[in-house]
Amino acid sequence: MNKSAIYLLPFLAAGFVGAAQAATEADVENSFNPYKAGMPGFAGLTAGSVINKGNVEQFKEVLGAGVYRLIKDGLFEMKVGATTQFAINKAYVDATKANLNKTKLGDKPGELNGYVAGRPFPEEPDVKDPRAGEKLAWNYKYGVNWGDGAIISPFYWKYRNMQSGQVEKTIKYDFHFLNFMHRTKDAPIPEIKPNPSGIFRAIYVKAHEPQDLKNTQLLIQRFEDDNKLDDAYLYLGFQRRVRRLAQGQVTDSFLGSDLMIEDFEGYNGRVSDMKWTFKGTRNVMLPLWNHNELKLASDMPAEADGFKYVDFGGQGKCFHEGTWQLRKVYVLEAAPVNPNHPVSKRVFYMDAQLGNLNGANEIYDRKGELWKVFMVGKSQADNHLPVNKGAGIGIDDAFSMVDLQSKHCTTGQFKGQVDPKRNPPALFQVQNLRGGD
Amino acid sequence: MRETKMHFMPTLKTITFAVGMAVGSMAGASELPAMGEDASPWNVDVTYENHTARRESAGLAKFRNTLQAEFDKKGGDGWGVHGILRGSWDGVYRMNSSEYGKKAGGAIDLQSTTPAGLMAVPYGSGLGHTAISGALQAKGMPAAVAANNTFVDAYPNSPNSGMRVLGDRWHKIDGGVGFGVPVRPCDVDRRGCRDFGGYGDQRLSELESPEFNDRLDFIRELYAKKTFNLASGKDLFIKVGKQQVVWGRTDLFRVLDVINPVDYSRNNIYDELSDIRIPMWIAQAEYRMGASETMQDRNFQIVWNFDKFRANNLGQCGSPNSILDAGCFFRGMANLWDNGGTVANFANVAPGTLLATNFGPGQIGLNKVHLPEWSFANTQLGMKYEGVTQDGLSFSLNALTYRSQLPSLHGGQRATNSFTGESRGAWPYLISFDMHFPRVNLIGGSMDFQLPGVGAAVRLEGAFTDGEEFANTAKPELYSKNRVFRSVIGVDRPTFIPFISETSATLISGQLFYQHIFDHEWERGALGPVGMPDWKDSYIGTLLIKGFLKNGQVSPQVIFAHDFKARATTVAPQVEWNIGNDLKLTFGANYKLANGRDRWNFDDCRACNPFAPFTAPDGDADPLSSYSRGLAGMEPLGRFRAGPIGAAFKENDVFIKLNYKF
Repeated sequence: MNKSAIYLLPFLAAGFVGAAQAATEADVENSFNPYKAGMPGFAGLTAGSVINKGNVEQFKEVLGAGVYRLIKDGLFEMKVGATTQFAINKAYVDATKANLNKTKLGDKPGELNGYVAGRPFPEEPDVKDPRAGEKLAWNYKYGVNWGDGAIISPFYWKYRNMQSGQVEKTIKYDFHFLNFMHRTKDAPIPEIKPNPSGIFRAIYVKAHEPQDLKNTQLLIQRFEDDNKLDDAYLYLGFQRRVRRLAQGQVTDSFLGSDLMIEDFEGYNGRVSDMKWTFKGTRNVMLPLWNHNELKLASDMPAEADGFKYVDFGGQGKCFHEGTWQLRKVYVLEAAPVNPNHPVSKRVFYMDAQLGNLNGANEIYDRKGELWKVFMVGKSQADNHLPVNKGAGIGIDDAFSMVDLQSKHCTTGQFKGQVDPKRNPPALFQVQNLRGGD
Repeated sequence: MRETKMHFMPTLKTITFAVGMAVGSMAGASELPAMGEDASPWNVDVTYENHTARRESAGLAKFRNTLQAEFDKKGGDGWGVHGILRGSWDGVYRMNSSEYGKKAGGAIDLQSTTPAGLMAVPYGSGLGHTAISGALQAKGMPAAVAANNTFVDAYPNSPNSGMRVLGDRWHKIDGGVGFGVPVRPCDVDRRGCRDFGGYGDQRLSELESPEFNDRLDFIRELYAKKTFNLASGKDLFIKVGKQQVVWGRTDLFRVLDVINPVDYSRNNIYDELSDIRIPMWIAQAEYRMGASETMQDRNFQIVWNFDKFRANNLGQCGSPNSILDAGCFFRGMANLWDNGGTVANFANVAPGTLLATNFGPGQIGLNKVHLPEWSFANTQLGMKYEGVTQDGLSFSLNALTYRSQLPSLHGGQRATNSFTGESRGAWPYLISFDMHFPRVNLIGGSMDFQLPGVGAAVRLEGAFTDGEEFANTAKPELYSKNRVFRSVIGVDRPTFIPFISETSATLISGQLFYQHIFDHEWERGALGPVGMPDWKDSYIGTLLIKGFLKNGQVSPQVIFAHDFKARATTVAPQVEWNIGNDLKLTFGANYKLANGRDRWNFDDCRACNPFAPFTAPDGDADPLSSYSRGLAGMEPLGRFRAGPIGAAFKENDVFIKLNYKF
């Protein structure tokens, strides 16, 4: 090959990749219904069976490395359920089709051009595409997630000693999520105006219990411009004052839990904060279930509407007791750009249908050793509260964040509700934090 | 007394238009989304706290037991009610009664300066009526005239018991002014008892359980609130009742956060401000405009403090926490006015000789306390515009008109001339005072933003006031009104410090407070500096280092605060241990260091010569004129130079706190 040809190689490659990226309606169908041709299977894996310490090696191929380690160490047993459809709401799918191929990556990570709404890159990712990981990260950022907005009320977090099972602290929260832009389902569509800062999405959190955290509130505003730092504010009930959080505080333990703010929802940061690498497509067990079909907890506070929470068991009661199912996933690695970040690497098993990142995450410490495993179980929306029927999302239903190094965990029990009336934009303003008690 | 350092304290922080908009726009409110205010049952949390402290050299300094009930209820119509009831009993007055209770104090010695050195003079044994009459006659005054002097030879109505020497908790007399201060609870010893604004006249039972008073302080908070969703898409938030309104962005010391007065008697400057702000009956309205085309958030707030005036509680003399030792100064001065008393090192009768002198009642001291009565004109009004810019800069612009929460002593008042018996309505430069709480107007602002390059959040706050009053010995009234600028810059940076925790960041938070007094007066007199004891420019730095271990169950922290001008430092380490959801133990200490004590001495007005020519310093070139020559000592104005850290430099405590939620 002559020298000129070598110079042309990158352009040829770019042209090849570009040609490969041109998505079709079939890609969209495949993206939102990867099981059209049938549900995945694995030898010996049947609904109703249990994967435990004794047989885990047999199923290693369909387990995330972190989850495999938890089972191998005898910390919990995985109940297997059948793979089911988690159909995404029509408005989001339609938006994806309507805006097909309009979205392009910018020259640098964190830059995206032409995005309107829906899943920006519905085509099947290619390991040969050096920016495939980044595209999946954008699919996550603009994913259907909680839809245009939702609340978790209440949301119980428990800090547990995994060895003794002692519950050290129970916190009762309300979480609110609202998309300001790229809305597809709930009015106003496509965005809430005015929005001069270009907020894409905001999360508002309020703690009700225990007494020492009462009225503690957190507001996170993420911007459309991915290169713009999130704004985060914390109102401390005992100080009665709003504090702006420094960037570093989103990678610190959140109120003493095993989660940092960056862990919320699987990954709660900017695309540009990480170097994303797509590692390939696999079938992996993820915690997905129908809430109404589970044996639910009997030791939780009663809800007026009769709602019951997902139960926990396993070592130290650190593990949700829902069923897991075999899912098509994209294995994605994210390495922090900031060398001082407390995490060296995150590994996600991104559910291909839902586009979520939080089913069986592995979090590695700065030395590269497995530090925590984060498992958020989701319920199919039509098998949850009546208000969620037809929401077309996976309803986060329970989480386990297991710290393997300190033998500690934080568990979460959700009452997720897709109810736009309970998410007025004023709730996501800094002043709302000050106006409480 | 002026505001100066006192502002830098704790812990260690058009309504018509708005209402018109609300009323005019509310028609469509019912169609708008609620803020999540579903009706709820009463939610009540009851907590108990025991706070026990031991003070070096004083023994038990606190055995306070607090029971608090916090309750909330949301109504279906969007109104919510919130309240806090708090009652406490501090056993220290019974368990350490010789230091703080019925047996506190005793007989005291004052002092005379002679060429041979400092001599102890028992209270009541200074130069009295007889000796001064003789001295006046020796200078040629007729006996009948000399006998008109109103000094006294003894104090049969104010015996030498139950007293301490002013300032003995933090300094010796050391050739300066000194006088006795009664220190027992006011039901045991009424001498010098006055209501200085919620303290100063408290009985033992009121010291033990301060919430049960005529202002019903056991109702710590009680307010109703509601957000009205206006048809315009904006909101009107109303909150009415007994409450705290917090302005500003600082920790530990206050710049803008001055709407509520503060109770320093609870734990000096070392409790969270939210625990020691004195809630007031306040109506506040916030017009929440939300985002515009150029601003991400906009809010306009009106705060009307319609409560009867309350001052900062500086702590009654004889109680463990008397910040700046001010309560003792006031009580001692009030006692001097009521009963007279021996004043150390006062009469400059010869070179190098300053003799203790027995003043009679009605000559020097503190007479009247002018606490503002309730009237519409005495209510306090604040306005704040707070917003977030398009680029994420949070800021506020604040304006407040209020009554100073710190007292100002107006000197040169009415008195009887000690030498002639003549009464006048005013004696320039005489240390005869009334206490006032002047009106102060404040404008200021604050902002915060991120510094991504260093991973830190920055807080800025500034305030300019007009109307504050400061001690000033260059003025015939011994005070002056001065405009003041205060500011703070704070930086918060979470930092991974591996030896503390490899997984949780340690919070490092530093603040630098600055105060400038405009038109500051300071000049060198014949015997020393004269003018304002407060520093023209002063600086206080604070540093908080707080770690989180074992998932936040254990949190060690240390706070440093350093007053650069006073050269005084406090170091407050503590460890907080959360044992489950309901039980918390905190133990720690509080140590002070000071190496600039000579710098605290200031003109004490002994050489002001108010009763010219009798009070002129020996050999004075202008004995017929009243003005200060600048003779100095630690009392009474050194406290303003020492500040709250320096004036407490001997109050080193260790403590343990237990909190339990039922």
